[in-house]
Amino acid sequence: MTHDKHEGKHDHDHDDHDKHDDHHHEEVAEVEDYPKDAKEESLKSELLTLNMGPQHPATHGVLRIEIKTDSEIVSEAKPYIGYLHRCMEKHTESLDYRGIIPFVDRLDYLAAMNMEVGYALTVEKMLGTEVPARATYIRTLVSELQRIASHLVAFGTYALDLGAFTPFLYAFDQREKILRFFEEISGARLLYNYVWIGGVWNDVTDTQLDFLRDFIEDFEKELDEYHTLVTSNSIFRDRTANVAVIDLKTCLAYGATGPVLRGAGHRWDLRKVQPYLNYNELEFDVPVGGDNPEVGGMVGDCLNRYYVRMREMRESLKIIKQLLLKFPSGPIMGKVSKIIKLPKGEIYMRTECPRGELGFHIVSQGGKEPYRIKVKSPCFTHVSILPVVGPGLMIADFVAAVGSIDIVLGEVDR
Amino acid sequence: MLDELCQEIKLKFPASQAVLHNPPENVGSPSIEIEAKSLREVALYLRDDCKYKFSVLQVISGVDYLEYFEVCYMLANFDLARSYEFILKVKVSDRVNPVLDSVADIWPAANWQERECFDMLGIEFKGHPDLRRILCPEDWQGFPLRKDYVAAKYYNGMQVYPDHKMNLEERSFIINSKSKQEELQKQSLAKGL
Amino acid sequence: MKNSIEQQRSPFAQYFKNIFDAITSTYKGMSITMGYVLTKKPTSIEYPEVREVLPKSARMRLYNDALNCIACNQCAMACPVDCIYITSYPRPKDLEVPKTSDGTPKRQVLVQYTIDTSLCCYCGLCTTVCPTECITHSQDYEFAQYTLGQFKYDYTSDDIIAWRDRILGQKEN
Repeated sequence: MTHDKHEGKHDHDHDDHDKHDDHHHEEVAEVEDYPKDAKEESLKSELLTLNMGPQHPATHGVLRIEIKTDSEIVSEAKPYIGYLHRCMEKHTESLDYRGIIPFVDRLDYLAAMNMEVGYALTVEKMLGTEVPARATYIRTLVSELQRIASHLVAFGTYALDLGAFTPFLYAFDQREKILRFFEEISGARLLYNYVWIGGVWNDVTDTQLDFLRDFIEDFEKELDEYHTLVTSNSIFRDRTANVAVIDLKTCLAYGATGPVLRGAGHRWDLRKVQPYLNYNELEFDVPVGGDNPEVGGMVGDCLNRYYVRMREMRESLKIIKQLLLKFPSGPIMGKVSKIIKLPKGEIYMRTECPRGELGFHIVSQGGKEPYRIKVKSPCFTHVSILPVVGPGLMIADFVAAVGSIDIVLGEVDR
Repeated sequence: MLDELCQEIKLKFPASQAVLHNPPENVGSPSIEIEAKSLREVALYLRDDCKYKFSVLQVISGVDYLEYFEVCYMLANFDLARSYEFILKVKVSDRVNPVLDSVADIWPAANWQERECFDMLGIEFKGHPDLRRILCPEDWQGFPLRKDYVAAKYYNGMQVYPDHKMNLEERSFIINSKSKQEELQKQSLAKGL
Repeated sequence: MKNSIEQQRSPFAQYFKNIFDAITSTYKGMSITMGYVLTKKPTSIEYPEVREVLPKSARMRLYNDALNCIACNQCAMACPVDCIYITSYPRPKDLEVPKTSDGTPKRQVLVQYTIDTSLCCYCGLCTTVCPTECITHSQDYEFAQYTLGQFKYDYTSDDIIAWRDRILGQKEN
């Protein structure tokens, strides 16, 4: 660089001489920088701080993770959340119980039906409302369909994180059919406001159920294809197996639920343990990590968490098939007064959502507005595990770890 | 089950003054209330020594009752054979300077939950490893979920919700003059409204 | 299990095993992709030329049939985001009270019925509480505007009353 500066002042003859001089100087400088008696420790560089996000495609939303890296290895990961904070809990204090449902939708926008079901069940339990059988069946149906749709997004984006683009398109192609069904019954594609306190808004017609039957047949074949395409792919397995192991102890200590807990080998599913809706009438398995030795990997690693989700989709299909066999007829709304007033008291209730357990803590002072609503969001607890999982991973593996936890920032930040 | 547990806590830690709150007419969830000063020892007992072994802290929910704060710890054990859950309640009566012992080392899940509680209600958790705001920006003033919270007009010198961006014009016709009122009414009548 | 087998294999055999694995899994994946290319129809549509037929229940832009509105304010109360603004006056006593199409007397003169569409969250709660079913979701989903102010529709103005036939026609179809 210094050579360029002097170029104008010198003749060509001098130029060569100058070049030679520069070379000589560089050699001397090198020797000064790296003394011969240098030890390995003194060669270590300082940690590099990287910001992953908030607009990073692999963080699934506006999550910022401050990573300190030693070359390629993460030595510290600090998640920063709150970029999507919409004061949902504050808003609910000035809304009536029906008006809260659109806000509840926007918590986990990929699984809005499950959010609604969780909220409606909590309020109904407090009110003591009896929900008609048909409404309960529809609720189970939509929450299982939503679970499939949500896991499809998780599957598609996870493959996308790891560099496979095609599965994403196939997953969204199938998800589109579920969203179409939801649009037919509720009128909206993503934020439904369909499950109401006391029942559901619209009835499901027989033609719509026939559409579902066709979809199930198609989708079973598709699921096999997904397994051939992604699960059995050796690159995918190498990227996920034995990576970012979250063991059962960590899961329980941090309160992790859903596929993260089940991926760690604990057969804990609220649908089985504390059945709500009509899950006690239905037959299904709870897949956990490690119960299928062919999968490989370690219990609690990325591959097992991913595989639990894939198998849950099949279980959901099983549930939907059983529901379609015996769909009762009858009313879809129970008796609810025009202005809903909860009795004085408080309640905490959990339901099983695609990403884990969603809990609502509702405190009522007897008015038509809640005094306080606290949402226990599963992803919030899962993001809090990241600082424990992160250290020791490669950056690319860290992306795999974030993707396997499957977070939705709308629910983390509320 | 909760009666028994409440008795046990009372026997082991007389200072905790544990009270069982059964919901009126069985609507809602039961809870056990203890004194703030014995929170840590009761928490340790519930996690390790008690026969139900509440190993999971699901969520910490703070409620502002104007005279006092109430912090609810939703505890559970994810035991497949016999799963229990209940709400452990602690009252914080000092509104100006609310302080509570942290349980972040007992249940690591409390780390972020306590940060959120601090962020939203301003309850300081003594002994917390990293007590910062979590959802609001770090320079936010006030605690949003307190009942007496007034939304800030300015944030870092910027006006919050400036009028020109709020799409306010013609939001509703506020008409004071009688003649204008009648004129509008006539227009509407002509349209058949 | 898999790991122990890998350890038994010599590095040389493992090298070829890896190559074989990579080729077979790529072949499997590509064969599925080719199957899609050859057999499946595209699921996306070429939007401006081809428009999707929405289901009847689709919740798009709100439309208030002002001629049937009795200004009861229930929709404004139900709205969770407060985007409906209504102004009305009692009808002068000397005038005859007209009726809506379902026979409800209109005791109020509606002067203004504004919906701020930019605030609306399309939840549909206002349509469920309406006693005369005059506020409905239309099927219009293309209403981009240049300013925020243009998103506010006063449904008592003449140009919007003129939509009536079109939107009611949509509902019947």
